[in-house]
Amino acid sequence: MAITKVVMPKLSEAMETGKIIKWLKKEGDRVQGGDILAEIETDKADVEMEAFGAGVLRKILVSAGEKAPVGTLIGVIAEPAEDIAAVLASAPIPAAAGAGAAGGASARNDTRSAPPAAPVAAPSGPAAPVVATVGAGAGSGRVSFRAEEPAPALTAPTAAATGRVKASPLAKKIAAQTGVDLRLIRGSGPGGRIIRRDVEAATVTVAAAPVAAAPVAAAPVTAPVLPGVEYEDRPLSQIRAAIARRMPLSKAPVPHFYVTSEVAMDRAWELREELNALEGQPKISVNDFVVRACALALLKHPGVNASFQGESIRVWHRAHIGIAVALEDGLITPVLRDSHAKSLAQIAVEARDLAERARARKLRATELSGATFSISNLGMYDVTEFSAIINPPEGAILAVGSVRRVAVVDDAGLGVGRRMALTLSCDHRVMDGAMGARFLQDVKRLLEEPLRLLV
Amino acid sequence: MATRNVDVAVVGTGPGGYVAAIRCAQLGLSVAAVEDDRPGGVCLNWGCIPTKALLRNAEVVNLFERAAEFGIRLAGFEANYAEAIQRSRRVADRMSKGVEFLFRKNKITLVPGRGVLKSRDTVEVAGTGGNETIQAKAVILATGSEPKSLPGVPIDEKTVISSNGAVRSERSPKSIVVIGAGAVGVEFADVYAAYGAQVTILEALPRLVPIEDEEVSKELARAFRRRSIEMKTGVKVASVTPGGPGVMVETDAGKVEAEQALMAVGRGAKVTGLGLEALSVRLDRGFVRVSPRMETSVPGVYAIGDMVGPPLLAHKAMAEGVVAAEAIAGRSPRPLDYGNVPACTYCRPQIASVGLTEAKAREAGREVSIGKFPFTANGKAVALGDTEGFVKVVADKASGEILGVHIVGPEATEIIHEFAVGRTLEATLEEIIHTIHAHPTLSEAALEATLGALGQAIHI
Repeated sequence: MAITKVVMPKLSEAMETGKIIKWLKKEGDRVQGGDILAEIETDKADVEMEAFGAGVLRKILVSAGEKAPVGTLIGVIAEPAEDIAAVLASAPIPAAAGAGAAGGASARNDTRSAPPAAPVAAPSGPAAPVVATVGAGAGSGRVSFRAEEPAPALTAPTAAATGRVKASPLAKKIAAQTGVDLRLIRGSGPGGRIIRRDVEAATVTVAAAPVAAAPVAAAPVTAPVLPGVEYEDRPLSQIRAAIARRMPLSKAPVPHFYVTSEVAMDRAWELREELNALEGQPKISVNDFVVRACALALLKHPGVNASFQGESIRVWHRAHIGIAVALEDGLITPVLRDSHAKSLAQIAVEARDLAERARARKLRATELSGATFSISNLGMYDVTEFSAIINPPEGAILAVGSVRRVAVVDDAGLGVGRRMALTLSCDHRVMDGAMGARFLQDVKRLLEEPLRLLV
Repeated sequence: MATRNVDVAVVGTGPGGYVAAIRCAQLGLSVAAVEDDRPGGVCLNWGCIPTKALLRNAEVVNLFERAAEFGIRLAGFEANYAEAIQRSRRVADRMSKGVEFLFRKNKITLVPGRGVLKSRDTVEVAGTGGNETIQAKAVILATGSEPKSLPGVPIDEKTVISSNGAVRSERSPKSIVVIGAGAVGVEFADVYAAYGAQVTILEALPRLVPIEDEEVSKELARAFRRRSIEMKTGVKVASVTPGGPGVMVETDAGKVEAEQALMAVGRGAKVTGLGLEALSVRLDRGFVRVSPRMETSVPGVYAIGDMVGPPLLAHKAMAEGVVAAEAIAGRSPRPLDYGNVPACTYCRPQIASVGLTEAKAREAGREVSIGKFPFTANGKAVALGDTEGFVKVVADKASGEILGVHIVGPEATEIIHEFAVGRTLEATLEEIIHTIHAHPTLSEAALEATLGALGQAIHI
């Protein structure tokens, strides 16, 4: 039988640390693959972590409320008879055990090895049980060989009673510049030292600690809004910080170009009203029409459903569409998988479910990654048109404006029609203007002849 | 056939293999090390060490030539190349014996012969003293690399030579074409030029030492030009055929004739004939694919050094050897920081670098500040009469993070470590400038370049 190591999963490109919000299984609970083990807070969102192995959750190593770097062993799943001592021995010392245990475990006289980590039954011979290291996340159900992270920090808070913070000079400087309070960060460097990546992973946590004499964090973090106060510096939320980090990585290196088209939405509008009048059918939004139209058009124009890979272009034959959802403090893009294989009604139900759970921060990791194309709709804000920033590695994103009633001229003369602007942002490394235009033309045709969306 | 049972079998005893073996032994594991050449591998026997001996000779020859500058009159001198090679052999022998001594000290069994992986825990050795089978709980592969050639150009080690032939041959050519201007190419160019050969360097990329910072390449080209080394960059070699005094090299920019041609176009991993295919050990672009703890796709089989990919440097192999040994012993080794491996080239002027070049840093979207300090303004360098080159610091403008350092000049390869340590500790420019540097030293140039990045250089 296999022992399954449960490690802090990497739930997004940028994620370096995750916080356990709560464990949904207790030690001793039997779990199946796919069961939700815990809820984890990342820089982007709160997500549920699935179990990939079956057995009994024998040990929880990082308790609720604690943070751990990606890759850290946070729990062990195994059959009751299985000996998990060796696996546990390789784990970082949990916070509860604290300093005492740390002292005991590092009794080795060896100047070259990494921080305290007892030996795994040395050496791992072929007879040893197969230990699968798995984390949640897209496609990580397979057994993978990965480094045990450097024994990450005695998890005791870095700020000792003396107030001294162990942090690298670079970490201190970045913290001072970004207003991160080093006392609230756990270091992942040697001996629990805070290093650059810890600071970058963290953002300002306000009011969690009294603002005492922080050695470097100079910027005042909050100020009550008082009349006459000229300005205030608001701390970045986790998600705002993540967006601030990621978007320049898209806009600068990805050469964007934009193609805009206006769509006559009269027939789609009528059809939608008819569909929504049907009893027992899910309510369908304009955006659901757009998703369906894009899904069909992407299959026909795989060149748009593509990612730039440096030396090649990966063309996707399935349309996983990211649908941007606005949150109070930012934006998140859950993914509607295999949109091309879903009916309008299915899309309506699933997209609503994703959006609701996104707002409640209840998305799973797999629902946050793997989009091949995205749609951002600001229609509800009476926006004529806008352009969106591509979310790499996707090759394009469609920005959807409001459906507006405008004067139109047709063969019959002057009339009133419903119009909607679509702007496609394209990665020029992946496609050219004509390709984007042809795709957009097809989306337009599908929306203007909306019965095509039903067949 | 005899069978030997050990905890760890190490195949190859170059700098990666022998360090891995010793670290395993230190951690209480029994080790057998298999070697089909001499302990120490290419590095100690045919690479780093003997070439450093030859380059030292080149330096001494150069000092003799400059004797008058120091007020020393010589009635003439003779630099004997055969004796230079013999000296380099003695140096290599001594280092190789050193490895044998370290093996004895750490009770590591040296098994002479060629090792082939039969299964994930079995290595078969076809030895000079008979065959034997090693049963091991874990295997570390460390077979290294060998010189590559251009397609259609066989290396005969007579007129077309590789570094392997160059370190053995006691005859210095009157003229030589060095194909490839990486570290190996420019080091041999330096040696041959010092011993009077007419040297022509051909490089397909637009500059010498193309992976180094562009300004470093320029400085080296300037120094080589002064020593009448011919350089043709951005040229493609079409063919290498017998002709003229020995060999004729045709390029898209004309032909060059010389007594010999030295192939220095890179090295390829030695991954064939090791039994990797049968075990389905995964490769990636000709190198063995490994996890950050140096384990291959086959559990219990580890690989380190040149065979797992660039940078092909002995010190990277040594560090990987330590990681593999500690992983096998159940430790949690800290994975290597491949962005912080110093690279050193020992031609004159020496070249050393760590981190990103200025161009790469800008490509990565960093806003950089640059500090550069020439050795002409450094007292120690002037006293030594060795003022070629500079120290260049590339830093992040906002945070003062040291993104990269590029040194060309005297003892560059020693000075670089200040910055390697600094980067490991995440020091910023501030910590370097607040470190008092002894006067007079070459390292003061490091301090001044760092000050320069903050706009505060004193001595320029």
